[in-house]
Amino acid sequence: MNWIQQTIQLFLKEVRLELRQKYAISGILLYVLSTVFIVYLAVVRIEPPTWNMLFWIVVLFASVNAVAKSFVHESSARGLYYYVLAEPSSVITAKIIYNTLLLMLLSLLSLAAFSVVADNPIKETASFFLILFLGSMGFSVTMTFISAIATKTNNSATIMTILTFPVIVPILMLLMKLSAAAIGLLPSVGNIKEIMMLLAIDTIAISLVLILFPYLWRE
Amino acid sequence: MIIKNWWKILSVVILLYVIIVGMATPLSPGITTASPSSAKVGNSLTLKVEGYNSHYQDAENIRAWLKIDDELSICAGEIVASSNNQLTATFIIPDQIPSEEAVQPTTLLLSNEIDGTSVFPDAVFITKDSITGSAGWNCMIEDLYQNDQYDFPFRNILAETIRNLYFHVPLWFGMIFLFLASVIYSIRYLRNPLDNYDIKAVAYAKAGILYGILGTVTGAIWAKYTWGAYWSFDVKQNMSAICLLIYAAYFVLRTSFDDEQRKARISAVYNIFAFAAMIPLLFVIPRLADSLHPGNGGNPALGTDDLDNTMRTVFYPAVIGWTLLGFWMSELIIRTRKVEQHLLEDE
Repeated sequence: MNWIQQTIQLFLKEVRLELRQKYAISGILLYVLSTVFIVYLAVVRIEPPTWNMLFWIVVLFASVNAVAKSFVHESSARGLYYYVLAEPSSVITAKIIYNTLLLMLLSLLSLAAFSVVADNPIKETASFFLILFLGSMGFSVTMTFISAIATKTNNSATIMTILTFPVIVPILMLLMKLSAAAIGLLPSVGNIKEIMMLLAIDTIAISLVLILFPYLWRE
Repeated sequence: MIIKNWWKILSVVILLYVIIVGMATPLSPGITTASPSSAKVGNSLTLKVEGYNSHYQDAENIRAWLKIDDELSICAGEIVASSNNQLTATFIIPDQIPSEEAVQPTTLLLSNEIDGTSVFPDAVFITKDSITGSAGWNCMIEDLYQNDQYDFPFRNILAETIRNLYFHVPLWFGMIFLFLASVIYSIRYLRNPLDNYDIKAVAYAKAGILYGILGTVTGAIWAKYTWGAYWSFDVKQNMSAICLLIYAAYFVLRTSFDDEQRKARISAVYNIFAFAAMIPLLFVIPRLADSLHPGNGGNPALGTDDLDNTMRTVFYPAVIGWTLLGFWMSELIIRTRKVEQHLLEDE
């Protein structure tokens, strides 16, 4: 099997595993709904600037929770089995693609939930979806990699959060700025620069992850 | 021994030079206040000027101007120096100002043979009557005295705190170099897992985080005197705080392993990733937002306005000196760690 086929197979495995157990998707669904509801109860009238902030905070926390268990299934015996069969880079790529789709689904769910309880202030829908996609990709790359680091420690839940939050800040700030423009809080002129920057950060993160992951895997 | 440790001696010599020259060199003469700060066209204005390090009484030949731009300015009629730091200058303001706006800011220039020339931007705001024009603004600024003493420039907001440049900025430079060294040893550890490399990576990161904390503290003190608050949520302040969080997380990560080799390898992986994440935090995001720091929002950073040649003679050595001191500290950490390991092996 070549690298692409391998990656596709591993990706399909993630999806199949998910569909069989359903606990990630259903857990996240409830997580997002209850968080949004709590946010609504606490704030009641959500103005667009607050909307932007709360939306990304909910997505950030839900994403950390969703991605944190990426490597929990990988018990040492199964890890060894993959290690014999597959390239480490295709293992992480499959997980990143899967998590990107999962986070995309999660942010769409949050968007739907927010629209129900707190109205939908988005003016430029197409560009907001692009932002969601770039955001999901950036979150997925960073968080998948960090969850691979965190699962090796004795204290993985805390480590996952303290390692993720500072590292994710540049992506999060760019996303909040872009989505503020899509909501109409900021002029959207010159957005291309920020989108390019987000793409650049994503690309750097992906290449670093592909270089560094084999060193985490090889145990 | 001296030959082997030349760079440590160099760092001490440089830092002594930086502290002595940086602290003892006087500021060039400047103007701290000029009152009143507003005037109406057509009136006579008696401007009370307070100077700093100036010699108004000792000087024989004082002249003063209020200028709108390089072409348009008026001269002071009578100048009376009541002390070396105080004088009053009388101006007759013309009937009209060339600006379309209702208020025209003017810059005060003072020149004498001892102090050279001092500039006070936006000293007097002149309120317009009704006519727009530049008649009367015709006293040319000529024969300015040059100040050729060895001193640091006087800046209105900064005043004496300008000396913090030799501490605050070089500490950040030193931090970047130390983190870079740490990353290089992390990469070398991944290529060839020797304990030595891991010890070095940790030591450089420790010294780097110390420099980061000192850089933040010196910055906060400077901010208190110039911007009015220790922390004003300036984008660079926030990003540097996050950058310290990233490296704090590195040390927390290291405490959560039992196995030494695993700790070394995984923290090396994180160190490389964290360094890459730090680059946009310190160099990209601050350029997207407005910042109070020089170098943002169109201000020059290390250009001629902020760093004159006198300051360069101290600033560049300070960068080298603080960086070398950081590496010296890291070396001490490395040696202590090696001794500890040696003792553990003997037990």
